[in-house]
Amino acid sequence: MKIKKEAICGTLESNDLLVKVVPFGGLQVSIYSEVMRQFGARIREVVDETLKQMNVSQGKFVIEDKGALDCAIRARVQTAVLRGCDSEELDWKGL
Amino acid sequence: MDEELDIETLDPRKDVRGAAEVKELLRASGLDAEADIQVFVVARNRSRIVACAGLAEDVVKCVTIAAEYRGSSLALRLMNEIHHLAMKRGQSHLFLYTKPCNVTLFEGCGFHKLVEVLGHACLMENTPVGIKDYCDSLNAFRQPGQRIGCVVLNANPFTLGHLYLVRQALRQCDWLHVFVVSEDASAISYADRLELVRAGLAGMERLTVHGGSRYLISKATFPSYFIKDACVVEACGTAIDLLIFRRYIAPALGITHRFIGTEPFCRLTRKYNEDMFEWLENVSEEGQPVHVVEIPRLEVAGHPVSASEVRRLLAKGDFVTMASLVPPTTLACLRAKYAFRTQPQEDDYATEIIEVE
Repeated sequence: MKIKKEAICGTLESNDLLVKVVPFGGLQVSIYSEVMRQFGARIREVVDETLKQMNVSQGKFVIEDKGALDCAIRARVQTAVLRGCDSEELDWKGL
Repeated sequence: MDEELDIETLDPRKDVRGAAEVKELLRASGLDAEADIQVFVVARNRSRIVACAGLAEDVVKCVTIAAEYRGSSLALRLMNEIHHLAMKRGQSHLFLYTKPCNVTLFEGCGFHKLVEVLGHACLMENTPVGIKDYCDSLNAFRQPGQRIGCVVLNANPFTLGHLYLVRQALRQCDWLHVFVVSEDASAISYADRLELVRAGLAGMERLTVHGGSRYLISKATFPSYFIKDACVVEACGTAIDLLIFRRYIAPALGITHRFIGTEPFCRLTRKYNEDMFEWLENVSEEGQPVHVVEIPRLEVAGHPVSASEVRRLLAKGDFVTMASLVPPTTLACLRAKYAFRTQPQEDDYATEIIEVE
């Protein structure tokens, strides 16, 4: 999947995160988190996994995290990708 | 404050009553409801509006919260709504002006500080990577040399005066970066202005023509420049734009000198030129100083060449006189695409003040 248009998902409330996606030639993920030192590596893992499962090959992702749980991170990233790809078709089994 | 608040959008042009209420709320915080705001996000309790945030294109302004509702993370709810609303309107990249004392509050709402005019105002943007990505993209155009120059043109339209300025600047440096203001608020469209600059400078060596950006003389960095009635350009209005240039754009390209034309006509542009010395050269400001070099304007038949004069001739349809003031490429374009315009557009006066560079 490729990001075709700009989209956002989420909020900057505590325990949530804001995901912004922009069309881009390659795949670029920037992560900013209030708990970067403790959980930065884990957040990146979850994001990378989610993008891999969805076969996202192109797009620029900017993630601002306010201490969200893994499941919230997954859900926000998935929705942002769907909005950015302008598609409702999702292989739920693959996730 | 545990009562439920509704977050709503409000169109100040349609909802007259709501607009009056917002105006009152802003006045209580010492703010004016600015005329260019297209939509407000407001928080309402059962009886009245208690908080608001305005959106004008990509600039968030007129943000306030009634005193008794502060400290309840209402700002975050407003800003979340603004982000989503702006996205729906096709604006994902937002800017926000605020007082330095409120920076922390807006940092918690997803805004990141670009520059601060000490004690007066801060410009923030809603992405941690905006200016960084822009500088990275400029970095690819870096050239070796001791003296790297920069000229910023509105070129509305490109004249022999601009050509002269570029030639003179080029003599004094190893490489010259020419930027064309990208804000589409001028008589001549941005696409045409950029094309005419490229055509007028074609074949010249040691020079790169860049399109503009939101970070360089745009409604975001320089609101007062594009507002028709802005008779007073506030000191901090010019400072934000110039500080962004000094701290981000100049280092990204290794720019050491900025060249400007002298301004014989417009008082406002003279002010901008004076401010440039202050904000770019002053050693007490953060960032390497950039030297400002003022070059006397080209004169034709005893008169300094100005783009506003060219626009007056365009309005009259006097292409014969115009031919002595513009390169053939500009003349051909104006004749083909702009010859039928008879009335000067409202913004001509405002754009006049930046085109001189």
